[in-house]
Order: sequence, then C-alpha cells, then structure tokens
Amino acid sequence: MINLFRAEWIKIAGNRWVAGCLIWIFPLLALAFIVVFGLIVGLSSTAREQFTNETSLWTEQAIGAWDFPNNPVGRLVLLSFTAVVFAGEYQWSTWKNLLPRNRRPALILIKFVTLGLFVVVAFVLMSIVLGVGMGVLSALVGKPYGPKVTGDVLADFAGDYTLQASLAFTSTIIAGGYAALAAMLTRSIIGGVLAGFVITFIENLSIVGLVLIGYLLDVPDVVHLYRLTPGYNLLNVSSWISNDAAGTFEVQVGAAADYVFADSLTFSVAVLAVWVIGLITVTVLLFRRQDITS
Amino acid sequence: MSTAPAIHIENLSKTFGRGRKRVEAVRNLSLDVHSGQVYGFLGPNGAGKTTTIRMLLDLIRPTQGSAYVYGQHVRREHQVLRRVGALVEGATFYGFLSARRNLEVFARTGDRYDPRRINALLEQVGLAGRAEQRVKGYSTGMKQRLGLAAALLHDPDLLILDEPTNGLDPEGMHEIRLFIRRLADEQGKTIFLSSHLLGEIEQVCDRVAIINMGEIVREGAVATLLEGQAHLRVEAMPLERAAEVLRAQWPISTNGTWLTVQARREEIPQVVRRLVEQGVDVYQVATQRQTLEEYFLTVVQEAVRHD
Repeated sequence: MINLFRAEWIKIAGNRWVAGCLIWIFPLLALAFIVVFGLIVGLSSTAREQFTNETSLWTEQAIGAWDFPNNPVGRLVLLSFTAVVFAGEYQWSTWKNLLPRNRRPALILIKFVTLGLFVVVAFVLMSIVLGVGMGVLSALVGKPYGPKVTGDVLADFAGDYTLQASLAFTSTIIAGGYAALAAMLTRSIIGGVLAGFVITFIENLSIVGLVLIGYLLDVPDVVHLYRLTPGYNLLNVSSWISNDAAGTFEVQVGAAADYVFADSLTFSVAVLAVWVIGLITVTVLLFRRQDITS
Repeated sequence: MSTAPAIHIENLSKTFGRGRKRVEAVRNLSLDVHSGQVYGFLGPNGAGKTTTIRMLLDLIRPTQGSAYVYGQHVRREHQVLRRVGALVEGATFYGFLSARRNLEVFARTGDRYDPRRINALLEQVGLAGRAEQRVKGYSTGMKQRLGLAAALLHDPDLLILDEPTNGLDPEGMHEIRLFIRRLADEQGKTIFLSSHLLGEIEQVCDRVAIINMGEIVREGAVATLLEGQAHLRVEAMPLERAAEVLRAQWPISTNGTWLTVQARREEIPQVVRRLVEQGVDVYQVATQRQTLEEYFLTVVQEAVRHD
C-alpha cells in the first residue's frame, strides 16, 4: 500500500502546473502576504501602530488557514484539483497501464487518500507560514504574540487543529467523490471539472429548490433536507471548531414558516461520514464495472 | 508445475452499445497460447484484436465467455495479471513526468519497485540517455520503447503486445522484432503479439490466429498454414491447352504468361505427366510458397464472402 501511495503522490506532485496553481499556491500566497504585510508595517508608521495595537494569537493564525478548504469557494478549487487527478487517467489513457498491476478498488481508494493528504500537507504548510510569519512580524514590532505555550493551550490547539485538518481532508474526499463520478461520466479533464462544478452548484443551490418545492407544494418541512448536504455540514463543523457553537442557518418558506438550523457537531460529523463512505462506495462500485476503452 | 496454457480464451464475446448502435466487436472467440510461444494475433483494423486484449487484461468486461491466464480467471483472480506485461494500443504515459518517473509510478503501482531494474530496462530499450527528460517531448518511437520497458518492469512470464512497432521507422521495427524474438528464445517468455503488419507476424511468430470481424477465421502454426497453401507456377506452351488439361483436376489461374496451379509439391510429377501426355511442352514448374500477406487476404476475402 505504501508503494501505491508513493506512486499516486509522484503523479499528483509531478503535475506541477496543476498542483502549483491549485494547491501549492496557498502556502505561497500566505508567504507573499507575510512579505507584503511586513513591508507595509515596516514602511508605514500608521500601519505599524495599528498592527502593534491589535492582538495576534498564533493559535488563531494557524487554525485560520484551514478556513479556505472548508468554504464553498475553496471546495470548488479542490474540486478542480481532484477532477484533474481522476479525469487525467482517462484523458491521458493511463488507466490501461495501471489496472492490470493492481485491483481497481485499491487504485481508487488510494487516490482519495493521497488527494486528501496532499491537501492537508499544503494547508499545514500554509498554517505554519502564517503562524510563524506573524510571529516574526510581531517580534519585529515588539508586541506580544500569545497565547503562552502551556500544556492546556497545546492540548486545546492540537484538538482544534486536528479537527480542522480532518475537515479539510473530508472536504477533499467529498470533492474527490464528485470529481471521480464526473470523470467516469465524461472521461475528460474539462468535462470532469465542469460536471463537478455543476454537482457542487446544485448542492449549494439546493436550498433554493427546496424552498420553492416547500412553498409550491405546501410542504415547508422539506427544507430540512438541506441539513443533509455536505456544504452545510462542513460549515457547521468549521463553526463548532472555531466558535465552539453551531453555525446557524436561517431560511424562510413563504410568510409563515421560518427555520433556523443549528445542528450539533455529532450530527454534522455523522452526516459527513455518510457522504464520504457513500461517495467512495459508489465510485468504487461504478469503477469496478466500467470498461476502459481508451 | 502447472501445465495450464499461458492464455486460454473460451467463447469470448463483447458487444458495445444497444439497439441500432449495437456493435459485436468480438464473437465467440476461443484460443490457447502455450508457454514459450510467440503467438501472432493478426487482423485488419477494427477486427477485434484490441478488444480481445483488453478483455484479457481485465480492462473491459466480456459480454460472454471467459479469459484465463496460466489457468486463472483474469477477473476473479486478478493477481495473475502480475505475471503479465502489456503494451496496449499505443504507449501512453504521464507527459509531465520523466521516463524514469513514469516507470517508477508503474513499478510502485504493481508493488515491485526496483531502481536497478528500471536502469537496466532504460538501457535495454536505448533510453538511458534521455531518462530524465519529460515524456511529453518524446517521439512516438521513443514512447513505444518506453512502453516495452514498462511492460517488462516486473519481469513478466507473458507479454501482451498490441501493435508494438506502431510509429517506428523500419530500423526501429527491425530492432523491436529482434528484441521480441530474443525475449522468447533466450528468456523463455510467452508473447502474444497483435499486429496488422503481416510481415511482422511472419518474421516473429510461431503460431498465428487470424481474426476478422470479431471472429477467428484461421489458426495454426505459421509454417503449416503457409505450407498448406503452397501452389505451383507452371510455364508451358501452348498456355491455353495447358490450362484446359489441368483445370479438370486442380484449380488454376493464369496471367497470360504462366499458370498458377493450386497443387502440392508432391503432385509435380503428375502435373508434368498430364501435360506431356496431352502434347504440351513444359518449360518450368516451380513451387511457390504463399506469403502470409497473400494468405491473409485470401482468408479475409473468403470470410467476407461467407458472410
């Protein structure tokens, strides 16, 4: 399995344009941000004063980096990336070289795992760049950079950090699931990206459809189905990690029915687990039956 | 030690599409390839060669029938494909990776990564000097060579090569043929070679199956197939009289200068005797061995007529 993982990693990292433009860009942007911000703070006394008066926490900087892969825009970027990885095998006709060498479920599963870990590594780098970079800038202007490292702080930080990383991993797997299904359908990178975007948009806009159905058919409770979508639950888990509270989502169906969704962390984690397992299972089952004709 | 054939294909069929778009690519195809043979799979474009190979490698599911490699079902006992190296329908790679990295990816995917083996193979196929170059800059010929290296990565017992000389210049084709022959003669590998190039099959293969419109129309040892189709070239005067005399006993054709008589070498004395008895002067009688190309065209045309 290690060999299979390394083979997948070589392919993903070796596609420098794609990995660079869609994934490595984030730690690089973080680095660029630190450099530019440092220059501004260094050159402008107003900016320096403002920066000195603001509280900076390394825990917030490091964890804040994880917001991107879990928000809707970030998910679209991840989807493009995963679409290239899955659809590329069809477009480059490379499945025929791989399939006789290993079992189809293993080849698909390792793609999901490697993609997830690749994204996690990139955002770990980004969080390190932001955490350390802001620390350096704080030291340069002589302001405190808390919180003080204690056992409790570290334990708390490690818990939140692991949850955020797991959430980014989950977000990648879900994007990968959409991308894999789209790739199997279209067998081209562009087709895979577009079909994946369509699926993601449908998911994000499903609330509009549900509100319309609820209003027109007079079944307002149907909007509760939105609580089962990955997008809603990713944001909810993210909110639990960042704010220790549910991310509230309000929706109104007609004049009378007003709904506020604020689900527990357990509920959202369970829903996401079902999505991850479901998407991987469907992908593996379909791929096992698919004819590789190119 | 197992005595199962390297390849055993049983009533294999594949149909693509439905309704009016339904295409029967392969129909009830059966064949055996024994260990150590170089087996040619010959057919025109679209005959069903690549579809058969894809079923053999578990890339596509047969509509009916089964394929076995060394006695193991390729779909149910997939691990047997680790004894197979394949080059299917043009070598394809990750263009953004170097040749060495591509081979590393394939070796690791098969869980058998050995950098020394990769170096040796790159040397063997003449790509050692350009191993670090990205494959997207490679010519078709270089990709074919790299494809052969990829097929040989895990030292397979059975090699399945689909049109391995496609895109190569005549010198490259010759080299690859020698390479294939050496693999069989010196390393005892079994080779299943698909081609539409008759000369290639004739020069390299021990046995051949001719496939047309999804069906095998002839199968046998190359020498036997061609021997069975030998004919006589007869120069005699007057030619019309000679044709008249011989037509009663053998199928003949003429080009106005000589007669082509569908008869065996052992029948030469009888042919000469009949002609002389009827007052025809015989100048020359020679055995003509049909080339595989002529044989193939005859067989394919026959098959079309029967359809």
